[in-house]
Amino acid sequence: MPLIIKDEYPETLFRKDGKRLDGRDVNELRPIKMEVGVIKNADGSAYLEWGNNKIFATVYGPREVHPHHLAKPDRGILRVFYRMATYSVFDRKRPAPGRREKEISMIVADCIEPLLFLELYPGTSFEVFIEVMDADGGTRCAGTTVAALALADAGIPMKSLVSSIAVGKIDGKKVVDLSGIEDKAGNADLPIAITWYNEEISLLQFDGDMNLDEMNEFLDLAKNALKDIHKIQLDTLKSKYVKLQEETNKSMGKNEKKGDE
Amino acid sequence: MMDIKRIVSKIERDYIISNLKKEERIDNRGLWEYREFQIKSDTIASAEGSADVSLGDTRIITGLKYDVGAPFPDLPDEGVCTVMAELLPLASPLFERGPPDEQSIELARVVDRGIRHADCVQTKKLCIKEKEAVYILFVDMYVINYAGNLIDAGGVSALSTLISAHIPEGIWNEEKHETEWTGKYLTGKTLVNELPFVITYGKIEDIVFLDPNLPEEMVCDGKISISVTEDKITSIQKSGAATFTIDEIKTLGSKSLEIGKKLRKELNLLQYLSKIE
Repeated sequence: MPLIIKDEYPETLFRKDGKRLDGRDVNELRPIKMEVGVIKNADGSAYLEWGNNKIFATVYGPREVHPHHLAKPDRGILRVFYRMATYSVFDRKRPAPGRREKEISMIVADCIEPLLFLELYPGTSFEVFIEVMDADGGTRCAGTTVAALALADAGIPMKSLVSSIAVGKIDGKKVVDLSGIEDKAGNADLPIAITWYNEEISLLQFDGDMNLDEMNEFLDLAKNALKDIHKIQLDTLKSKYVKLQEETNKSMGKNEKKGDE
Repeated sequence: MMDIKRIVSKIERDYIISNLKKEERIDNRGLWEYREFQIKSDTIASAEGSADVSLGDTRIITGLKYDVGAPFPDLPDEGVCTVMAELLPLASPLFERGPPDEQSIELARVVDRGIRHADCVQTKKLCIKEKEAVYILFVDMYVINYAGNLIDAGGVSALSTLISAHIPEGIWNEEKHETEWTGKYLTGKTLVNELPFVITYGKIEDIVFLDPNLPEEMVCDGKISISVTEDKITSIQKSGAATFTIDEIKTLGSKSLEIGKKLRKELNLLQYLSKIE
């Protein structure tokens, strides 16, 4: 349920029993649901529900570059377009893409690019569209996570997946996976992404204040949480092929029966 | 991935037409049959009402937002309801990025007119204080997958969204000269009266058929969309280069009322009314 009045922030972000407002422990993730192949028109697609976040991602490519002058003769290009629906946030967002969306598109593109073998696709482009239908904190992280899934669903060669999450500080305590209200009312927010082929960080931003020890702790906290997310991503991709196999087995079984008759 | 091209080959076109002449369609439907509608309402937590509607493979997610603003000077005691549509480039390789093009504006306008002229949204109930403050509703449609006939899917999507509405109820505070929130909600029950349906037909040569899918839409000469309420026609839009005979339009008029009645019963959209009081 959305807040009725804009600036209705709670006084504290923890309940009396020490849990967070939505009943989570400090290092507990919100419920995550992923699906691939949800948009039939696309070369690859994925859908993610992460708490109240609802995000679609599709991939088109490799395809011709428009406008043509962006094409590179020796390699393919990756373009990411992160957009939010007007109704995904408390105050209706203006329909045209804003500065925030353009910046996030750029950092997500930079985050994903190391995974791809763009040098194998000269003169073409990969386009990733991330569409946030419902937002509740951490959409750039969720968007990166779901974009990686969509690329894998498209069958594009990748070094590995990338997973992303925000960690931060609310009421002085370190927590993982900030919700919308924790992001706005909290003290620090650190979105981070790890590419699994080299286990290095490929997206990192920070707003707030922390000392050196806290930063080190944040990074460890994030890495542990990201392992869980990576597992969900892999399971989602695997389940697609398990389903395909079951369907083929079924239809092959039918054919055999027909043959017997 | 489906095979989507900007241009349909002559052979494919002839195949579709020769099938239609035999009253057969490439997806095995009859000439006057809809693909299946699937509706999920109130799926978006941040919106004050929403619907996720699929018509076959065409899928549109619509959400409702509101704002409080000054009314139009010529309608001082009526709220405003606007419809916007965006054809996301994620939905089809045929859609491009950039400002809204003709197709998305037509979609929004046809859906809007169907609703506006049908006594559907009770704009007088959207008035908080005459001449001072009224609700402005934004019904925003996002196309998630494009497989033909966006208009009918959009119409049902917009309508289900309005039915699932739950906007905070405001009253006018005379002293402070501003709107105050009562903590209650205005729901679809108060806001929506008539249920208009938009029904779109395609035409190829002299064959007319209901609910064109993507290949049919790409080869058809033109389309006509007719909005109907229980017993009235509330808007018509002819688009594309086809011409319709007067007799055809007459038949389509009565056919639309018939199909509208059937949809109203089958979809039973009032089941999506918000439960919040």
